Amino acid sequence: MLQIADLTKRFGGLVALDRVTLDFEADVLHAIIGPNGAGKTTLFNTISGMLRSDSGSVRFRGTDISGMAPHRISRLGISRSLQIKSVFDSMTVAENLWIAAQAREGVMHPFSNRSRFSRTAGRVDEILEQTGLEGLRDSPAGTLSYGDVALLEIGIALATGPTLLLLDEPICGMGPAETEATVEKIRHLAESVDIIIIEHDMPVVFDLAERITVMAQGGVLARGTPQDIADNAAVREAYLGDEDDDEDDEDEDGFDA
Amino acid sequence: MKARINRGVLLTVLAFLLIAPLLLPAVGFDYWLDILAEILIWSLFAASVNLLFGYVGLLSFGQALFFGMGMFGVAIGVAKLGLGFWPALGLGMVVAVATAAVAGALAVRLTWHYFAIITVVFSLIFYFIALSAKPLTGGDDGTSFSMPPMLTLGESELSLTDQTVQYFFILLVVGFAFFVKYLIVRSPFGMALMAVRENDVRASLIGLNVYFLRWIAFVVAGGFAGLAGCLFALFGRYASATYMFYHVSGEGVVWTIVGGAGTLFGPAIGAALLIIVREELSNMWEHYPILVGIVVILTVIFAPKGLMGMWNGLLDRLASRSADGTDTDEGQRQAMESAAAPVKGEAGP
Repeated sequence: MLQIADLTKRFGGLVALDRVTLDFEADVLHAIIGPNGAGKTTLFNTISGMLRSDSGSVRFRGTDISGMAPHRISRLGISRSLQIKSVFDSMTVAENLWIAAQAREGVMHPFSNRSRFSRTAGRVDEILEQTGLEGLRDSPAGTLSYGDVALLEIGIALATGPTLLLLDEPICGMGPAETEATVEKIRHLAESVDIIIIEHDMPVVFDLAERITVMAQGGVLARGTPQDIADNAAVREAYLGDEDDDEDDEDEDGFDA
Repeated sequence: MKARINRGVLLTVLAFLLIAPLLLPAVGFDYWLDILAEILIWSLFAASVNLLFGYVGLLSFGQALFFGMGMFGVAIGVAKLGLGFWPALGLGMVVAVATAAVAGALAVRLTWHYFAIITVVFSLIFYFIALSAKPLTGGDDGTSFSMPPMLTLGESELSLTDQTVQYFFILLVVGFAFFVKYLIVRSPFGMALMAVRENDVRASLIGLNVYFLRWIAFVVAGGFAGLAGCLFALFGRYASATYMFYHVSGEGVVWTIVGGAGTLFGPAIGAALLIIVREELSNMWEHYPILVGIVVILTVIFAPKGLMGMWNGLLDRLASRSADGTDTDEGQRQAMESAAAPVKGEAGP
């Protein structure tokens, strides 16, 4: 469904993505994990067109989308949420979803009343129900709680009718109850849409994902089922991290001395 | 209730504008009919600034460029090319919109202060071109022309030389332009512009072509400014490069901010108010712009949404007061009554 080949992105001297090659197959819920700075969000930014890669290619359902503008990639069916939640603050929840849904139908109707677009209105109602935001329909998005904004982000992404949904830390900032509800929603969504999710909450990742990709320092460290990943020694080291390394270093020093 | 009051106010203002040619001379204020016409023209110019700043979030200090293009289009069309009324008006519009299309294609690649700066630069470039192209524009002196008739039927002519005809022509054109703006604001296109204003990254991620939307808005705004310029040329039978200068653009920005950016009629209110202040004070006190400056500073600090925002806030408060008044909870109602007694009468039915 999504093929990434030799994708490289540098920021000055820092290599954020180092010849990443990944193949995300359809109908499987993918998760990407990895320590901060591993290149996860950069990968999403490059897929969605917000960043242009230095080399390599991204193919989505057979179309080469590398170097395409974000709005064109969005229209091909890739929708994403942002790590730093970003919605249309002074517009109401319903308006946020409305413009996202209408963006797909076309907005170049400068003289017709918005209320005449009944299909878009129906889609808004659907998404409000799916996300459970019905009660906040007429609230300005800027007044929502952090968890509700995160839900609205997912709602906006869904309203564009995507076939692939990229979720960047969707439950970040949510309480336990909200997290559980959102995880159920994502699981439910995955039945109709392909999903790739970046998440730091390991219990959530291992509960949701059918395939996990571990990234570290701009490269792919490991891929596999949750079980494979849990058993993988390299991953354990990357996550249990520095302590092990320090001990190893000390041991080596000891031997040298 | 808010919508009803606002509709009432709008209808009252419209009624006043319609009977003004009868009313003002009757009370000996003939001169004010021309001021009213001028206010209408400048409110259209402010609408141009507002479409960009209030609805797409682009602060332009260069709208005077398109205003000037409209002016020169009409003046050169009549004085140099010998065009009639309507072809000259058409020429003014074409020149203004074409300039906006080219300037916009470059300017909307930038946002925020970079955008503001490039619009100033464009307007300065054309200002100096207009000054130096003396054979075409008349340089410092500008171009004046005599008014061609609007309509000729046999012996009788309809022409803007008649003050009342001129007033109604301007009212009709400006009214039509505001109606178009109203249609745009409530359309899917208008909503897309607001989405770009709120969050351009998110807008592009939902599939909106941000660059194209900004460009179209820039061209439409250029058209509004150009139309205002055409009207102003016809009104003064004159075009001058001074109206291309960026301080004219700045006035449009001031009217928009004082009246309320992002509201349909706010900028018109700002223009009306500050032009009336100018007419009343400029004879008595040459430093009256100091007062304007103070008004702007106070607005930005205390009413960031302008006079229109203040007015809407007031209506909202009154509405919530009267809603509280109908609360049936006995204790709360009594507390309310004692607290809100003085305003009860005002809030009324």
